[in-house]
Amino acid sequence: MTMGALKTHPKVYWIWNHRRWCLENIPSGPAPAGEEDANGWKQAAWQKDLFVVEQMLNKDPRNFHAWDYRRYILSQIPKPPLPKTELAYTKAKIVSNFSNFSAWHQRSKILLSLWSSGNLDESKSKENEFKLITDAMYTDPHDQSVWIYHRWLVGNNSTRKVLEREISVISDLLAEQPDSKWCLESLVHYKRMLINSYKDAVDAQALTDECHALLLQLSEIDPMRSRRYKDIMSQLNNHDV
Amino acid sequence: MSIATLNIPLHVKYIQNLGKSDDELMYHLTAHLRLNAVYWGLAALCVMGHKEALDRGEMIDFVMSCWDDEAGGFGAHPDHDAHLLSTCSAIQILVMQDALDRLDIPRVVNFIASLQQPSGVFAGDSFGEIDTRFLYCAVNSLSLLGQLDKMDVGKAVEYIRHCRNFDGGFGSRIGAESHAAQVFVCVGSLAILDRLDVCDADTLSWWLSERQMDSGGLNGRPQKLEDVCYSFWVLSALSILNKLEYIDSDKLISFILSAQDPEGGGIADRPGDMVDVFHTCFGTAGLSLVGYPGLEDLDPVYCMPAKLIEKMGLRKGWKALERRSG
Ligand SMILES: [Zn+2]
Repeated sequence: MTMGALKTHPKVYWIWNHRRWCLENIPSGPAPAGEEDANGWKQAAWQKDLFVVEQMLNKDPRNFHAWDYRRYILSQIPKPPLPKTELAYTKAKIVSNFSNFSAWHQRSKILLSLWSSGNLDESKSKENEFKLITDAMYTDPHDQSVWIYHRWLVGNNSTRKVLEREISVISDLLAEQPDSKWCLESLVHYKRMLINSYKDAVDAQALTDECHALLLQLSEIDPMRSRRYKDIMSQLNNHDV
Repeated sequence: MSIATLNIPLHVKYIQNLGKSDDELMYHLTAHLRLNAVYWGLAALCVMGHKEALDRGEMIDFVMSCWDDEAGGFGAHPDHDAHLLSTCSAIQILVMQDALDRLDIPRVVNFIASLQQPSGVFAGDSFGEIDTRFLYCAVNSLSLLGQLDKMDVGKAVEYIRHCRNFDGGFGSRIGAESHAAQVFVCVGSLAILDRLDVCDADTLSWWLSERQMDSGGLNGRPQKLEDVCYSFWVLSALSILNKLEYIDSDKLISFILSAQDPEGGGIADRPGDMVDVFHTCFGTAGLSLVGYPGLEDLDPVYCMPAKLIEKMGLRKGWKALERRSG
């Protein structure tokens, strides 16, 4: 039915929608021979679609219709795979290509649901994520996907210890890659967090001066966004007098 | 090849000729977007200051021929079923042509409102596909008709809030990856509903500024190719956040200009590709927002002429770059 059309036009959204509509309307039907489950037909149909989506993502790992559809299948399938299976799937996608932001995105969503349901220990699993992302950073420091995910992982309520540790990891990388825009940008971000959240425990003046220097360097190597760096500089000034 | 200026007369001619095309195949292939295409053409002409280049009466007649009397909305083409995308385009065209008197307002409002789902988002039609794009179409249309009280605004805002991702962007539905076009529809809806507080403005303007590539063009999400239409999706959101300076407008202008077809007119998604009316519309829209000389002001929230939106009392607090002098 729609499979042929999807292969030739994988980005035409209404084909996906038609497929969605068909699957939603599959009757529960009798159980297949030897099974007691009346959802057997549905399970088999969704399972087949999950396979189709995986084939599509092998060909085009960033196709967001396919990712959307994958999330949809996982929410509808009578017997969904364990969330940890999906976590492993995103990891396999990421390891084969660190630039696959769609997989990082999916991973963040799965982790959030595992943490909030208590199925995964948040602090332990965060440490594992930090290891994974540090590997990715060192593999390709120019890849913004990695840095966006890192920012999510650090979050808005990080402890001083985590902030200082990540600042030191990134500073080491910067020493190897002195022109890495993403190292510079991230250092400014995390140093500002230290200033804002732990004002009394850190040397705010020294951090502010460091941010200034980093922002000047950023304006030079990334002139397209120099106005943004200037804005941050003036926010630093207003904040610390 | 770089082309230093926008060839307005040629692009106007390109849009005029679209309606006369006798390419049968293309005609049928694009039928599901016909009414949208008329809106893109008209919006581009307005930006270039040549609104009168397409015949007003003919255009209004075409819009009315797409009315689906059973549903109470507009289809993309005569005899097509009503859809929210084409209904929004129809209303925008009728507003731009000052022809709302032709519209059965209570019926169309009823059609739009009936597509709101219990979650707050809108479906595009009775098949039930949901997308924040459809939510924007509903908010835009109802606001133009002064009928926002006919939808559940609170629920719509909550739905958008749940589509917000950690990168500050928004996706097509809850759980979906951020994408610049979805950022535009969510930020535009929030602007119309006076609920920009739902945006994480700092993170979002960072993410939007990182859409600019070395070529000067903008992409829709990390590690993807640049495309002229993102000039509008990214710039509209940045101008609503009042952060249009966060990208290099000179470089963007040369990228858009280099995607013009210097012989047949029109603008393509990127230099060297086939032109189409969609990219011609959003390319000129982007140029207008960054102050390209000789263009009319465009309202980034509604993607319609700024003067008109202002006259209707609907202008929000966005800021475009100052118009450059020739
Ligand atoms: Zn495009």
